[in-house]
Amino acid sequence: MTDTAQAPATGPLARLSDQFWRRPRLLLVLLLALPLLWLGLIYIGSLAALLAQSFFSIDEFSGLINREVTLRTYGELLRPANFDIILRTVLMAAAVTIAAAIIAFPIAYYAARHARGRMKAAFYLAVMLPLWSSYLVKVYAWKLILAKEGILTWAVEGLGASTILNAILALPVIGGNSLSVSYIGTFLVFLYVWLPFMILPLQASLERVPGNLLEASDDLGATPGQTFRHVILPLAMPGLIAGSIFTFSLTLGDYIIPQIVGNSSRFIGMAVYQHQGTAGNIPLAAAFAVVPIVIMGLYLWMARRRGAFDAL
Amino acid sequence: MPLATPLAVEFDNVTRHFGPAGAPVRAVDGVSVGITEGCFFAMLGPSGSGKTTCLRLISGFERPTSGHIRIFGQNSEAIPPNRRPVNTVFQDYALFPHLTVRDNVAYGPRMAGVDRRTRHAAAEEMLALVKLSGYGDRKPAALSGGQRQRVALARALVNRPRVLLLDEPLGALDLKLREAMQEELKSLQQSLGITFVFVTHDQGEALSMADRVAVFNDGKIVQEGTPQDIYERPRTRFVADFVGSANVLSPELSARAGGPARWTSLRGEAVALTAPGAGRITGTVRSLRYMGAVTRVTVATPGGDLTATVPAALPLPAQGATVGLHWPADALHEMEGGA
Ligand SMILES: Nc1ncnc2c1ncn2[C@@H]1O[C@H](COP(=O)(O)OP(=O)(O)O)[C@@H](O)[C@H]1O
Ligand SMILES: [Mg+2]
Repeated sequence: MTDTAQAPATGPLARLSDQFWRRPRLLLVLLLALPLLWLGLIYIGSLAALLAQSFFSIDEFSGLINREVTLRTYGELLRPANFDIILRTVLMAAAVTIAAAIIAFPIAYYAARHARGRMKAAFYLAVMLPLWSSYLVKVYAWKLILAKEGILTWAVEGLGASTILNAILALPVIGGNSLSVSYIGTFLVFLYVWLPFMILPLQASLERVPGNLLEASDDLGATPGQTFRHVILPLAMPGLIAGSIFTFSLTLGDYIIPQIVGNSSRFIGMAVYQHQGTAGNIPLAAAFAVVPIVIMGLYLWMARRRGAFDAL
Repeated sequence: MPLATPLAVEFDNVTRHFGPAGAPVRAVDGVSVGITEGCFFAMLGPSGSGKTTCLRLISGFERPTSGHIRIFGQNSEAIPPNRRPVNTVFQDYALFPHLTVRDNVAYGPRMAGVDRRTRHAAAEEMLALVKLSGYGDRKPAALSGGQRQRVALARALVNRPRVLLLDEPLGALDLKLREAMQEELKSLQQSLGITFVFVTHDQGEALSMADRVAVFNDGKIVQEGTPQDIYERPRTRFVADFVGSANVLSPELSARAGGPARWTSLRGEAVALTAPGAGRITGTVRSLRYMGAVTRVTVATPGGDLTATVPAALPLPAQGATVGLHWPADALHEMEGGA
């Protein structure tokens, strides 16, 4: 064995690397073990625990948890007070998602198809910059901006458009004493805070639409509007869905913004927070927490049936 | 002024520059050419010579920097691509990935407001024409390269364009498929009577398929004519080199072999091998390239290399042997200029 062509493996590291080369699956298992453990036990596990809790109920007199499987807690969700919370939250999340999609689309389209070099860098900076500052700081800043004595009222007065603002504030339900204590205010802050989560996936999906498909559509006689409807929108749909999952579920789950800006009506997140904390009704909190999961599941199932993922 | 054959497309001193006005890339540089209706017109040239840009000028995706393009006599400047009587088969097909093959083909009629039944029937008819009946429900991703190419063709033809633009449509196909598609395209063009403008960098493809060929170099058309013109009477050294059919003789070599002291071209088929000293010039065999029906024998002569195309029936010299080369006096074809 003096003149072997290949050098034998020397040292434990080299032997280990040889082992991995011979058994690629071993490497895969080792690499995935930790993340899978995390995902399986901590993440799915706690979700399952949550789900299980929602099938228990609370004894109204003793306040103790009754560990018998029942649908009573879900029944409580349908009580008008609770059902209003769900409806309010879902409507808000839907409004925020639709508005975010409408605002994000032109921005994402411009960034994906027209911006180059410095403009593109500026785009990323402008979209990401708000994410660098604390969420709480941003929300309180908005409270000040929207307050009755805030800069927005001041600016609107300066422009002589107070009548418009007052007309908006006079709207039933969504209006209020000032923007900072109205649904419109809550909506604006949600929109501002979650907008980057719509722009970024949308921009990524628009960037992947090959330019020659747009030319092909044009060549085949489509007007710009038809090209948008039949080519751009379907191909951007995965990004739109991804973005709407973010904006929709983040709004569904948030419990801070409606506490700070708005007319202090409760949203699902706040209900969960209160029921698991002060009220000590863990089963009802769990049932409330299941609602967004079910809604998102339904939403994805519908999107899939409508062919939203055909372009994937 | 009545014309004998109407022009489908006419380039009138068209220029298209890209980049800064100070130092522009002259993608198309003073092109004037007429493409007659019903003609199979090939644009041939090396990559970067401006062929695609010319095609995009016809389809309307590029606008001329100067000059005019007329389509069926009409100035095209003000007409957007979606309203030109022209369709394109894109180089990489550009099929819509989210639509089935049938919906891809029916896309043009759908945009024109044709109802579903009629447009699906038209799509099926076109799919049959390109021999893809039964593939309507598939997505483009589930097709081979050759099948995608046919779908792209059907998608363009279903609109009954008066001019069909094809940008290297066979470039991505393997040799056998390419040859089959060449024949199909040619017979399709003849049976439909549509004007085809076909871009390619493959001289064999251009010569075998086209009625007329324009050879491009550096954004200019260096020669336009029938395939025979281009092949037998290349006007410049560039054409002779690019079409690759002919030997190019320097003025010295031409004069030494008894021809004019000019740049000349000489087709390999016209050159016969003789005994040393018996021909117009003598040299040593540098290489032999067996090509089946013929063998290309390259002979090093004092004035440069010459290639003779020898039919398979004739005897071949050995490599390094000394041979003579002979050709008829009228086989030598004079070319323009030094370049
Ligand atoms: N949009 C463009 N911007 C800048 N330069 C371009 C553009 N399109 C084409 N060119 C340049 O024009 C020249 C001709 O290109 P093209 O028409 O694509 O040639 P071909 O199709 O013959 O390969 C090339 O040098 C190319 O780099
Ligand atoms: Mg090209």
